[in-house]
Amino acid sequence: MKFLKLNKDQTQKLFLSLIGFIALIYVYFTFFLGPLQRSRDNALKSIEETHEKIASSKTEMSKATRLEDQAKTATTQFAALRALSPEGAPIAWFPPRIKSFFANQQIDKVTARMETSSQPKEKELATWSTYNWVIQMPQADYSTLGKTVAALENSEPLLSVMKVSIHAAIEDPEFQQVTLTAAMLLEKR
Amino acid sequence: MALNLNFLHEEIEQQRQRQRDPLKIGMMVLTMIGVGMFLYYMWNAYQTLEIKSRLNAAQADWAKVEPKVTAAKKRAAELNSIIGTTKVLNDMMESRFYWAPLLEQVAKCVAPNTQLTSLEGSVLDDKKGVSIVIEGTAAGREPRAAAEDLRQMLLEQLGQTYKDVKIEFKALEDLDTIVAVSGTNMAMARYSLVITLNPDTGKATAAPAPVRAVKTP
Repeated sequence: MKFLKLNKDQTQKLFLSLIGFIALIYVYFTFFLGPLQRSRDNALKSIEETHEKIASSKTEMSKATRLEDQAKTATTQFAALRALSPEGAPIAWFPPRIKSFFANQQIDKVTARMETSSQPKEKELATWSTYNWVIQMPQADYSTLGKTVAALENSEPLLSVMKVSIHAAIEDPEFQQVTLTAAMLLEKR
Repeated sequence: MALNLNFLHEEIEQQRQRQRDPLKIGMMVLTMIGVGMFLYYMWNAYQTLEIKSRLNAAQADWAKVEPKVTAAKKRAAELNSIIGTTKVLNDMMESRFYWAPLLEQVAKCVAPNTQLTSLEGSVLDDKKGVSIVIEGTAAGREPRAAAEDLRQMLLEQLGQTYKDVKIEFKALEDLDTIVAVSGTNMAMARYSLVITLNPDTGKATAAPAPVRAVKTP
C-alpha cells in the first residue's frame, strides 16, 4: 500500500507514462499492425481469387477442348459453306458461274442479274447477306429445265428458288421461256 | 543491547524511492510491452511475407495459364458462333422448297389431251407455303371434264408429297377452237388452276429431275 502513495511528481510521471502507452498502442495498431494485417488479408484474398481463376480456367480449357471435338462437323460444314462464296463482289462472279452452269446443262443464252441484296433477319448471320437474282432462260426444254433446277438446288445449298415462271415460247412451241428468282446467302467479304 | 545506528537511512530511503519510481517502472513495463509488440509484429510480418510469396507463386501460375485460357475462351466463342451460324444455315437449307420434284409431279399429271401454257410459282414469305398458278388448255368431248381430271390428278399426286394441298379453278372457259387429238376432233377449254400447298420441310430431300416433258402448244 506504501507503493500507491505517490507524490505529485510521481503522479504526473505516471500520467505521462499512461499517455505514452496509449500513444504507443495507437501508433502500433494504426501504423504498423493494421496495414500489415490489411496487406495480409488482401494477399489471402488475392490468392483465393487466383486459385479460383486457375480452377475455372481449367474448366474453361476442358470445355473448349470438348467443344472443339463436338464442333468438328459444324466447323467442316461451315468451311465448306464459306467456300461457296468466292472472293470479290457477287455481281462479278455469280452471273458467269450461273451461265456456265446452265450451259453445262444444255441451256444456253442464260442471263442472271442481281435484283436486290439484304441482311438476313437472323443475328447469327450478321456476316452474311442475301442476294436476290433473276435468272432468265429464253429457251429451255421442260425436261432439261427440271434436271437443271434439280442439279442447281443440289449443287448450291445456299440458293433457294423463290419464284418460277415458265411460259410456252410463242415462236418455238417445243421450248419454254423460263425465269427463276433465286435468293442466295453469301458471306460478306 | 547493542546500539544500532543507521547513518545512511536517508540515502537508503532515496534509493528505495528511486527503485519504486513509477516512471521508471512504467518505462520498464512499456519497454516489455514494446518488445512483445515488436516480436508480435515481426511474427505477423513473417507470416505476411510467407503469404505474399504464396501469392507470387499463384500469380506466376496464373500468368502461365492466362494466355491459354484467353485463347481457349476466344476459340470457344468462335466455335459457338460457328455452331450457331451453321445451325441457322442448315435450317435454311433444310427448309428450302425444292422445285424440281414439283415440276416432275406436274409433268406426270399432264395427260395427252391437256396442255400447259404457263406455270407461275412462288414461295410465300415466312414459310407460309407455296402458291402456283397453272394455265393451259384441255381438249376432249367434255373439255371441262378433261381439265377437272387434271385438277384431280394434281390433287392426288401433290397430296402424296405436300401438306394442305388446295387446287381450285381460277378460270375455266370453253373455247371455240376445235383440235384434232388422235385423229378425232375435240372441243377445247382454257383453264387456270391455283394451287396452294405447304411443303413438308421435314422430308426435304435432294431433288430428282422430272421424267417427262410437258407438251406445250
